Amino acid sequence: MLDILQNLISLDVLNATIRITTPILLVALSAVITQKANILNIGAEGIMLLGAFFGIMFSFFSGSWVVGALAGAVIGIIASMFMAVAHIEFKADIFVVGMAFNIFAIAFTRFGLNTFLNSTGIFTPQNLSTIPKINLSFLDPESFIGRLLFGYSLFDYLAIALVFILWYVIYKTRWGLHVRSVGLNEEAAESAGINTKLKKYQVMFLSGILGGLGGAHLSIGYTSVFVDNMSNGRGFAGVAAMFFGGANPIYTWLGTLIFGFSQASGNILQLYDFPSQIILMIPYLLTVVILAFSLYRRKAKATKRNRTF
Amino acid sequence: MKKFRNLNHNVTFSLIVAFIIGSIIITALGENVFRVFGILISGAFDGSLKFGTTLQFFVPLFLTAIAFAVSTKVDINNIGVEGSLLLGAIAAAVTGAYVTGLSPIFHISLALIIAIVVGAAWAYIPAILKIKLNVNEITVTILLNYVALYFTSFLVMGPFSADVGAPRTMTILDSARIGTFLSPSKANYGIIIAIVVYFIILFIFSKTTFGYKITNSGLNSKFSFFVGINSKRMRIIGMLISGAIGGLAGGIEVLGVYGFYLYGFSFNTAFDGMLISLIAKNNLKKIPVIAFFIAALKSGALSMARYTDIPKSTIDMLISIFILLVAMDGIYEVIKNMVIRKKEREEAKC
Repeated sequence: MLDILQNLISLDVLNATIRITTPILLVALSAVITQKANILNIGAEGIMLLGAFFGIMFSFFSGSWVVGALAGAVIGIIASMFMAVAHIEFKADIFVVGMAFNIFAIAFTRFGLNTFLNSTGIFTPQNLSTIPKINLSFLDPESFIGRLLFGYSLFDYLAIALVFILWYVIYKTRWGLHVRSVGLNEEAAESAGINTKLKKYQVMFLSGILGGLGGAHLSIGYTSVFVDNMSNGRGFAGVAAMFFGGANPIYTWLGTLIFGFSQASGNILQLYDFPSQIILMIPYLLTVVILAFSLYRRKAKATKRNRTF
Repeated sequence: MKKFRNLNHNVTFSLIVAFIIGSIIITALGENVFRVFGILISGAFDGSLKFGTTLQFFVPLFLTAIAFAVSTKVDINNIGVEGSLLLGAIAAAVTGAYVTGLSPIFHISLALIIAIVVGAAWAYIPAILKIKLNVNEITVTILLNYVALYFTSFLVMGPFSADVGAPRTMTILDSARIGTFLSPSKANYGIIIAIVVYFIILFIFSKTTFGYKITNSGLNSKFSFFVGINSKRMRIIGMLISGAIGGLAGGIEVLGVYGFYLYGFSFNTAFDGMLISLIAKNNLKKIPVIAFFIAALKSGALSMARYTDIPKSTIDMLISIFILLVAMDGIYEVIKNMVIRKKEREEAKC
């Protein structure tokens, strides 16, 4: 028992947690930014899947991961702009569009896997150009820091940097204030002279980039294959983490780390014949509990306030 | 009435656009459009195996679509139908395999009732969270779908594993099997149960005060409160019915089609059902036709993939494009206005 615990609370698990978290984190941030303008981007899952597919396809054909990552971002933008137009111009329910789009992404990538890459189910290219790992050669590989930071790719650092960049943009800039006001009260924002439509397009645009990059990282960073339905609920996990963190980038990061940790520790516990499904279930349950708890507290506060007046 | 007609235009328009996109894809892949569509249609209806497969696909799509539509009647989007379906399926599989000494009618009824109860109980969680605390039900049900998926996967690989290599439960006893027809297809008499359930639901919602109370609680809970309807209770009941139908869909799949619970047997069945309900704008009366249409497409796609170079995913892609277009309420209006404006301009020229 002690031996299992020792294995769980180790630097290796922490290291794996960070790496497993990155794709979820990127897609969670893409949900955070739209949520600030009151758009529930349920289509993030589909954006991610398309990003993964185009990322690996372009990296494979061009021989450069940069092209692959860019392709992921571009397809993310195209997808999110499509959803934005459907939602903003043609009054489609964003939830319906997002869900239908997720199904579309699964079908399209399966179709593309057949037609463009001549494979079924899985695509494993040889000599794929992947997102480079950052080797901090000046660190002693046996030291604490060296072991903690071993083997991270560029995007692992980028994602963490984006947490703070996004936090700054949302809470400390004028643009962020405008976006938040659109989310809080659209009519009030409109009458204060904010172009609400434009703000919504802008957040969807950014969301597309983040989700697309998250997908590209999945296929040419975190792994170097493409598997049918590869995002496998990571987009939904990202949306859940966003709710977990109340759409605050930093708390959302915490939420994604829970998902990452449960998967990393699940891998370890499996070695001890512990059913990994139970571990994998925990973050989903925990998010439900936290959602319920935070709303319960909000409700309790509201009743208390009503009583004083 | 006018709105109703607009809706039909919208569906027709979307269908035509999806058809055109499909034709373009087929031509680009070097196939003859007419040949492919011919195979698609014959693949859905020609012969007992093919038509039976259409009916087999129809039942779970139809039931999950009804389940989703019922939840929207109380103004909740129950995406958790998938979870109810999975848990109902495994409950039915376990009852079917481990309970012995019952006559078929009792065994099947027992397994289905347990599936229904489990499905409804599962829907109770998001319902109570939504009603009591106003927690966003879309998020909760998506999360709970994963909980259901992992939980059933734990059960099927652990306590109830058949130990045969594939992650599945023991095969159910013959007394729990729902009979099939149109052999060698897997079409089964579950379809009769589905149709009966449909008419009961339709009757409840269009003819009874109980149905009226439920619908009203979804439309305007404040109004309901003032006329003395316990809208909270009604909305929870609506969700319970939704979950129950989801559980039933899972139960029928196990007892009628598979004979055991196989991990991953339902790849997003309830999502497809939800999309069917969304195409029908959650109108119960339109669901059967659309569910049958989608089931026929999916069944025909199997033949299409076998006899042509067009992958099966093309059909799923077209279905999702179809739904995306239907969802855009505004798009038909925009086109209509464009046509009207063009006409006006031409008239002004004359």
